Amino acid sequence: MLCQSCEKRQATTHIKTIVNGELKEFMLCPECAGKLGYGSFFSSFGPDLDRLYGGFMDSYTPQVTGKRCPFCGSSFEDIANSGRVGCARCYEIFEDELMPSLQRIHGRTTHTGKLAASAGEAVKVQSEIDACRRELENAIKTQEFEKAARLRDKIRELEKKAAEQGEE
Amino acid sequence: MLNERTEPLKDVSDVVISTRIRFARNLQDYEFPCRLSVEKKCRVAATVKAAALGNPEYSSRFRYISMSELTQEEAVSLVERHLVSPEFISDRQGRGLLLMDNESVSIMINEEDHVRIQVIRPDLDLEGAFEIANKFDDMLDEQLGFAFSDRLGYLTQCPTNIGTGMRASLLLHLPALRESGAMGKISASLGKLGFTIRGMYGDSNDPKGAVYQLSNQVTLGISEKEAIDNLRDITMQLVVQERNAREAMSQNITVLDGLYRSFGILRYAKILTNDECWKLLSDLRFGVEIGIFENIDYDTINRLMIEVQPATLMKNIGKKLPALERERIRAELIRTAIARPKVPANRRLE
Ligand SMILES: [Zn+2]
Ligand SMILES: [Zn+2]
Repeated sequence: MLCQSCEKRQATTHIKTIVNGELKEFMLCPECAGKLGYGSFFSSFGPDLDRLYGGFMDSYTPQVTGKRCPFCGSSFEDIANSGRVGCARCYEIFEDELMPSLQRIHGRTTHTGKLAASAGEAVKVQSEIDACRRELENAIKTQEFEKAARLRDKIRELEKKAAEQGEE
Repeated sequence: MLNERTEPLKDVSDVVISTRIRFARNLQDYEFPCRLSVEKKCRVAATVKAAALGNPEYSSRFRYISMSELTQEEAVSLVERHLVSPEFISDRQGRGLLLMDNESVSIMINEEDHVRIQVIRPDLDLEGAFEIANKFDDMLDEQLGFAFSDRLGYLTQCPTNIGTGMRASLLLHLPALRESGAMGKISASLGKLGFTIRGMYGDSNDPKGAVYQLSNQVTLGISEKEAIDNLRDITMQLVVQERNAREAMSQNITVLDGLYRSFGILRYAKILTNDECWKLLSDLRFGVEIGIFENIDYDTINRLMIEVQPATLMKNIGKKLPALERERIRAELIRTAIARPKVPANRRLE
C-alpha cells in the first residue's frame, strides 16, 4: 500500500489518531510518519522510524538461519518486518541480531535504570554501589565528611560482597 | 536573569500544562500482545486486574473497565482525556483499563505491552509523577514478576522502549515560538538530543492550537532520574525561549488584535466547531499568559481544552448529539467559563 500522505513511498506505519471525536487510521511511509511527528505505533512512544527500520534492515540478512523462538515461534524476519518482538525470550534468542538496532536506537546497549525484583543479585549489588558512589560525591561536595566516611565503609562492604559473588 | 538556565524556574504553569510518566511492562509467561490470541489477552487482563485489585490499599480506588464494553464515545473520550492511547481503543477486544478514582493513574492492559502504567499530574511535576508510577510498578512487579533482563532492563514489545521502559512527557503551550516560526528548528535540534516534540491537535507540524508534547526517546543506558533531569533541563530552556518570544510579541499590534478577536468570538459565539476551538482556546491562553486577559486561570483553560472535545462533551451530557448541538453546547460551556473577565485598567482605553 502506498503512503496516504506522499502517495509515493511504500506505507509501513499504521497511525491511529483521534480527529474530531473519531478514531482515524492512516498508513504512512516512515519518512512522512516522521515528518508528521508520529512515532511508529503509538504517537508519544514514538521512536525515530528511520533509525528503527534502518537498524533492522542493516542487521537482517535473510537465509542465515531458520531460527525461531521456541516460546512464541517468531523468526527474526517476523520481528524485522513488524518492528515488534514476539516475547521476552526473543531478546535472548535473537540477541545478536537485535543488538545493532538497539545500539542504533538508543546509542547504548546496557540498562542502567531501575531493577525489577527478578534482577540478579550481582546487578543489584552493583547498582547499590553506584548509588552509594553518587551519594558519596554529593557528600564530599557539601562537605558532609561523617556521611562520606560512612558511605565509603558501605561501598567497601558492598564491593567485598560483589567479589564474593564473583567467586561463587 | 543570568542564571535562569541553571536554576530551575519556580512556576512554569504559563508554559507547562501537565506532566505524564508512563512505564511499559510485560509478564514473563505470555507472548507479547502482538502475538496473543484474544483468549490469552483476556487471561493476561484477568491476572493484572487481580494483582491490582488484590492490593487492599488500592482495591477500592481502582475501577476496572473492560474496553470492549464501552460505547465508542466513552472510548474516544478516554483518549481525549489523555488516559489511553488511540491505539488502545482501535481494537478493544481483550483489553482492559484500571482507572484510579481521580483519573491520575491509569493502567492499560494489552496495549503495545501487557501493562502500561501511566500517571498524569498537572503542571510540571516529573518527580511527583515518577514516584507514583514507581510505587504502582513495585506493587505490580511484586505480584506479577515483570519480564526483565540484567543487561537490557525491562523487555518490551517494541525495542524502542527497552531498558527503563519509561516515557516522560510534558504538555507545553508554545504559542509565541510557534508564531515566530521557530518550531521546525527547535524540533530538529530536540531530535538530535534524544527528545521528540509534536503538536497535539491536528497536523503535528502545524497543530491547530499551540499545544505540544515533549518526550524523552532514549530508554536504554540511561537511568530514569537522568532521563527526567534531562527532560526538565531542556524544558527550562524552552520556557525561557518561549517567554522571551512572548515578551517580544506582547507589544505587536497584529498579534494583540488577533488575540482580542479570538477572545471576542469565545465570549459571544453561539456555535463553535471543534477545529476552530483549538485555535481560539490557544489564543485565550496566550492572552492570559501575556497578561491581557485577567480573571481566567490556567486550570479553567486546561479543563476547557478537554471538556469541549466532541466525545468528552457527549459523555458529560450523557447522550450522542448531532454536530450542531455539540457546537452549541461547546460555545455555551466556554461562554459560561469565561464570563465577565476583567480587562486590566492600563489596557482599558487602548
Ligand atoms: Zn509518505
Ligand atoms: Zn519469542
